[in-house]
Amino acid sequence: MSAALDIKGLVKRFGGLVATNEVSFSVKPGESVGLIGPNGAGKTTIFSQIMGELRQDAGHIALDGTDISHLPTPRRIRAGVSRTYQVPRPFSDMSVAENIRVGLMPDSIWQMIRYGPNHDRESELALSVGLTKEQLQRQPSELSMGDLRKLEMARTLATAPRLMLLDEVFAGLTVNEIAIMSSLVQSMRDDGMTFLIVSHDLKALEPLIDRAIAIDQGRLIADGSYAEVIADADVRASYLGAA
Amino acid sequence: MGLRWYHYVLWAAFIGGMFVLPEFVSRGTLRTLIFANFLAIFAISWDALSGRTGYISFGHTFLIGIGAYTTAILTKRFGVPVEVSIPLAVIATMIGGLIVLLPALRIRGSYFALVTLAMMELIYQLVQVIRPDLTGGTRGMSGLPTLTRGAANGYYMSVSLMLAIALSTWLLMRTRLGTALWAIGMNEDAVAGSGLSPTRLKMIAFLTSAFIAGLGGAVYIHYLGSIAPRALFDINFVFTIIVAALIGGAGTIVGPIIGAFFLTFLLEYLRPWLPGAERYMVYAGLALILYMVQPKGLASLVTDAAARLRRAP
Repeated sequence: MSAALDIKGLVKRFGGLVATNEVSFSVKPGESVGLIGPNGAGKTTIFSQIMGELRQDAGHIALDGTDISHLPTPRRIRAGVSRTYQVPRPFSDMSVAENIRVGLMPDSIWQMIRYGPNHDRESELALSVGLTKEQLQRQPSELSMGDLRKLEMARTLATAPRLMLLDEVFAGLTVNEIAIMSSLVQSMRDDGMTFLIVSHDLKALEPLIDRAIAIDQGRLIADGSYAEVIADADVRASYLGAA
Repeated sequence: MGLRWYHYVLWAAFIGGMFVLPEFVSRGTLRTLIFANFLAIFAISWDALSGRTGYISFGHTFLIGIGAYTTAILTKRFGVPVEVSIPLAVIATMIGGLIVLLPALRIRGSYFALVTLAMMELIYQLVQVIRPDLTGGTRGMSGLPTLTRGAANGYYMSVSLMLAIALSTWLLMRTRLGTALWAIGMNEDAVAGSGLSPTRLKMIAFLTSAFIAGLGGAVYIHYLGSIAPRALFDINFVFTIIVAALIGGAGTIVGPIIGAFFLTFLLEYLRPWLPGAERYMVYAGLALILYMVQPKGLASLVTDAAARLRRAP
């Protein structure tokens, strides 16, 4: 269920801009780590490199000690890492059940043809993230932002991840929806899932993490307990501007 | 595959209806129906790739051409029997298309469309220049062995092939593979983000498309008994295939069939008044109006009407 993540010397440049600058950190199996920093700090770029959506210019990414730096995205997902996005990206013309079905697809083309969809598992995943049975046949356009995030969570869970990267998981949610999403993440933590979570909502993030990592201008500036990181002078300066 | 009783009823009615049709129509209409059947095959083939995955191919006759020319050359120049040459033509289409077009599946959008268009032009030039002793050059080939004699037999052959292809493709697209291909058309990155390889899925869509195009192309020229490169690689022919799929309803099986029959009969009935290429302006105008009313095509008009009837008190 849990996976360890090791990142060493990760570098990503976009022309003259260094979006990720020699970033190194580790996440232990079952640990939940918050990745914080101001807008444009490079948090999502790190996620994209972990997933292989962006190729790093230098550095290595390892999952449970196995280097996944050069694997394509689908193979990284099969290895056990999966992510959600700041803006949910459902398959717009498919029902909620069909969206989850895509996440549940086997790797083998023959199995895709030979075996039909597992409706029970689709329903189970939908219910596990707080969607209702009635919503299974709804289109994504009929869902609220909170339900879209739940759908994305269900599709991500369908790939059977051991490490989940949650990108701005509370963005656009109401207070009530934030509470629901928090308890969902909390219950998955209890089941041993490893998390790396990006959020600007530090208040909502704090109870969900064991440790925080702060990034600014592509550099890692603090790593420690949430209280230590928030109290760090560099972190305060990055959020509030240099004193 | 989640088949329901009404699927069996509708397919049985459709197949039965198509087979008794020759009893009620004239010989001339029968010949038009034969062309509609072949256009439906080509439109289903185009749809298996472009309608599902959103990769718009403007060079589909490239694939049809490989199938048609392979069997034509094998039968005419080497005396290979049709029963052997057609399967070989299908294999050649899949392999030839894969070698040339698969690299193009790594590019997206208009670039893919342009590459496929260039491929069609390339094969058109090649069959004229390279070994015209084999291909027949600009004049093509005639006197090829035909599979049937008479309009009724031609109709039964073409409709059997069309229905077999339509039913097989429909069943294939109802599997999870069909769902995955459909997902590519909506959001390829999210498909990769679900642990599936878009390139592999596109290759399957492409091979399915090439199989149907190669088979359709090979049987078509053995129906005609001749092959003419100017007609086969005509841009109007490509557009007719694409418009048939789109006007009927891309991403469905019944859509390309409805579109193919609608377009074939429209073009045929316009012939006495507009014998030239102006006819294509009429169907372009009709297609435009249809897109404004229902962008998902004629098939959606039918399914929407059925849904309204079901909801009616």
